[in-house]
Amino acid sequence: MTFNAGLRKTLYVIVLLLIAAVFLTPYIFSIFAAFKPLAEIQADRAWQPPSHFTWDNFVTIFTQYHFLNYLGNTAAVTIILTIGQVLFSLLAAYAFARIQFPGREAIFWGYLAMLMVPNVVTMIPLYMMMSAAGLTNTYWALFLPYVFGTPYTVFLMRQYLQTIPGEIIEAARLDGLGETGILRRVVLPLARPVILTATIIAVIFGWNNFLWPLIATDSNDLQVLSVGIANFNSNFAQQWNLVLAGSLVALIPMVILFAIFQKHIVNSVNLSGASR
Amino acid sequence: MTGVAQDLPVKARPAPAKKAKNHVPAAERKRHLAAYGLLAPSLFGVLVFLLIPVIFVFVLSFMKWNMLNAPAFVGFSNYIDAFRYEGAWHALVVTFWYFLLNIPAQTVLALGMAMLMNRKGRFTAVIRVLCVLPYLAMPVAMGVVWQWIFAPQTGVVNTLLHLIGITGPNWLNSPEWAMPVVAFANIWQYVGYNMLFFLAGLAAIPPTVYEASAIDGATAWKRFWHITLPLLRPSMLFVVVTGAIGSFQVFDTVYVMTNGGPGNATTVMNMLIYNNGFVGFRFGTASALSVILFLVILVVTLVQFRYFQKRAVYEMV
Amino acid sequence: MKRRQFLQLAGAAAGTLALSGCSAAGWGFRGDGGKTVDLTYALWDANQQIGLTKSVAEFMKRNPNIRVTIQQVPYGNYQQKITEQYISGNAPDVFWVNTPWLADWGRGGVLTDVAPKVKQAGIDMSRYYPALVDLHTDGDHLWGLPKDWDTICFFYNATHLAKCGYAKPPTDLEWNPTDGGSFLHFLKRITLDKNGRSALDAGFDPGNIAMYATAATNSYQDSFGNYMAMNGGSMLPKPYATSSTMNSPQNREMFSFITDMLSAAHVIVPAAQTGPNGDSTNVETLFASGQMALWMTGDWNTLTVSQLSGFKIGVMPMPSGPKGRISVFNGLIDAIVSNTPHPKEAWQLVQWLGGPESQRIMAEGGYVWSAIKELDPLFLAYWKKKGLDMSWFLDAAHGKTVNFPVATGMQEALTNVTTTLGPAFLGQEPVASSLAAASEIFDYRISYASKK
Repeated sequence: MTFNAGLRKTLYVIVLLLIAAVFLTPYIFSIFAAFKPLAEIQADRAWQPPSHFTWDNFVTIFTQYHFLNYLGNTAAVTIILTIGQVLFSLLAAYAFARIQFPGREAIFWGYLAMLMVPNVVTMIPLYMMMSAAGLTNTYWALFLPYVFGTPYTVFLMRQYLQTIPGEIIEAARLDGLGETGILRRVVLPLARPVILTATIIAVIFGWNNFLWPLIATDSNDLQVLSVGIANFNSNFAQQWNLVLAGSLVALIPMVILFAIFQKHIVNSVNLSGASR
Repeated sequence: MTGVAQDLPVKARPAPAKKAKNHVPAAERKRHLAAYGLLAPSLFGVLVFLLIPVIFVFVLSFMKWNMLNAPAFVGFSNYIDAFRYEGAWHALVVTFWYFLLNIPAQTVLALGMAMLMNRKGRFTAVIRVLCVLPYLAMPVAMGVVWQWIFAPQTGVVNTLLHLIGITGPNWLNSPEWAMPVVAFANIWQYVGYNMLFFLAGLAAIPPTVYEASAIDGATAWKRFWHITLPLLRPSMLFVVVTGAIGSFQVFDTVYVMTNGGPGNATTVMNMLIYNNGFVGFRFGTASALSVILFLVILVVTLVQFRYFQKRAVYEMV
Repeated sequence: MKRRQFLQLAGAAAGTLALSGCSAAGWGFRGDGGKTVDLTYALWDANQQIGLTKSVAEFMKRNPNIRVTIQQVPYGNYQQKITEQYISGNAPDVFWVNTPWLADWGRGGVLTDVAPKVKQAGIDMSRYYPALVDLHTDGDHLWGLPKDWDTICFFYNATHLAKCGYAKPPTDLEWNPTDGGSFLHFLKRITLDKNGRSALDAGFDPGNIAMYATAATNSYQDSFGNYMAMNGGSMLPKPYATSSTMNSPQNREMFSFITDMLSAAHVIVPAAQTGPNGDSTNVETLFASGQMALWMTGDWNTLTVSQLSGFKIGVMPMPSGPKGRISVFNGLIDAIVSNTPHPKEAWQLVQWLGGPESQRIMAEGGYVWSAIKELDPLFLAYWKKKGLDMSWFLDAAHGKTVNFPVATGMQEALTNVTTTLGPAFLGQEPVASSLAAASEIFDYRISYASKK
């Protein structure tokens, strides 16, 4: 029996390692390539570790291509977008979850309906609206559509807030606290997990967002990471080395964030009610 | 359940929800106002950045405008042109093909991985985290890596195939293989993330259920098929519905890996809308295409909800 | 506590990063004022940018109140980007215009009509190639000043041709759609299989070709457009037409010549290998890696070709067809955006760029053939010194040429034609039906802007 169990354990480990290999290999290749000169990537054994290890690619993207600008732009937009999205969604979620008011159900179903609208449907009129307001090619265009909260985040937070026992809220009301007071003193401490989750979702979304920035901005100074990196490749040569170096730099903050908060990302899954 | 309420004496029934219109106590009115106040910012966002654009798009789909010349009303001709010249039908087929390549495989793999890694232990936990890592990558950046991995002469895949004597095709330039490769890239990116939903679903199943079936002598397969799978229905619904909506809206990966090519073999609906709107500046036609896509997603989503039965939906809400 | 400190640090770092990368212009503050006028000049070619930087530096010396910034916009989405910028009111003041989108911008009001300015400044337009001026004229309007021109020839692998018995390249080949003429014979002679047998040889092995003669790609300007004109066919009856002359017997013959005759003879690289959609990077790689003997392309690839090593390279003319030897002729202009805040200064810049002093700098440095006829020998001299004789391109420009077609929606129309013809090039569909379908969508595109 123990031999069988030992065999199964070994098999299990091998299978898992294979799976991990599938997920890690593209990352490993991109890391290798980020440190190679372009000629080596185009050569035959493109996927081997660099034989001419070089930091040049990173130097190039920062000096020749304003990569720092891209980082700064993306960081600025992501931070603003996240703060607004989390804050305003929390306010709305609390209202939906714990306050009885006329029209509550109708408005909430309206939010849910908006979830099904494909993003591209809204982009054309958004572009026209931004153009008319003279806001294309500004930071405003990049975060305005998202900063006031999104149906998805509102939905997510509302599910969580519904798990806060109603008695606590009622008790606070009887104590004479207004709704904002309740939010601040009672809900906020209890809602920390979902706030963290919503923050991570917003950050990853803002950081990697591609289609809308592609449409809404066209000046080199205002590029965000996703569009800037894509542009490395649309010149005459396919500058793989720069693209991969750039995407590596772009990835690092996300990985750090993920490593710290990975438990909460798993939790976010529970809160959308999918498990119930 | 239905019989119970009738047995209660009239007094004990809950008080009617409606009150006399004018008799709203001051405290409650204050609460309503507070609620509207809290709702205001996000409602503003939804109205201005979601609802109005949707209405705008419907109106625009009946007009012809390139933002250089004046707009003109053209009735249904955008819809007709969409199918006759712009390749809307082909794009829908391609999008649906992508959906078929992507969602079933991804769902099964995510479920399989969740079943496999649903146990305690440091090693398993680490591998689980590694599986979710692809979710963090910029789709744009990964698309480029895939382009390079699948390159005809210098790519990893063809190099490996060459070692065992097969000449790999020119993956991203071949009309047959381009879409499967794009689907593969997308599966790689999101299967770990979807695995998390199934893990959560599995965690919610009480172990007593399994113990009971073990006593009855059920095999592992029977347990999976008759107990686990039905209880996972809410997770399944979530994964499949959000996956479907997502796959009908795929853009980033396609744009970077193939830009709709070769020819129009990977021109999914979103790509067609983008090309019509932001490359061709035919905003009227692009709007018509958006409306068509929206309706398709609506129908597909409703069908899926119907399939998974209403029960699961209310459990979500 | 440690985690909170870390988070605070991370937050501070993120904030600093954000601030450092931000620009005031990003918030909509467009700074303004002062006596210097700031102009932006957009282009896509990084190599020409080097020459133009020199030229612009000279311009700024002579006009100290004008400051010019050159902006490089990738060619892939150039038309789209500049149009978007024009719509939001922040397009560059001066920019290059290529013929596929000339009509869209001209008729769409994006460009300034410089005809009255030319008249007022008394510029002698006969210094330019007449075909170039025609190309950019729309009735009474002139959309900019010509800056360069290009024609089509073959770059050939001289080492390989010598191996096949051609110390000098043939310059009087003829092709026709009936039997291919001396051109097909020549192509067969230089196509070799892995055993060194040519396609004329009975023992030729078409499954194992080491060196193809050439490629006939699915692209207008550097491939089928030339054969089309030589066979008496055309894309449009006249510039700005709203229906095409694409679906004609002459064009059907010409496409069959490529997709049937040449591929049956195994002298051209199969479309599956070049990619059926005319993307030139594959053909370039094939030529560079010694798998293709002749590269049919325009002189915009001169720099690329000059950097190749491994074999000697030369230039030879295209074969003549039933109507003679005809090359597609194209050129760019420097144009002024219609909503520029500085029309006077922008026109000064365009006058400079279109004038002999600036174009001399560009020709001398071997960047482009100058639009001004008398400066061409300078370009020739530069490349002769580098060991590349470009005379045949000049010869083509002085011979019979056909202007690149001009019509609204042309850029997309040509892309759609390429896509629709793809299956014909792959041998999956007959030419007649592909051409008919291509012609239908082409007509739809070029008539879209004008139909109600």
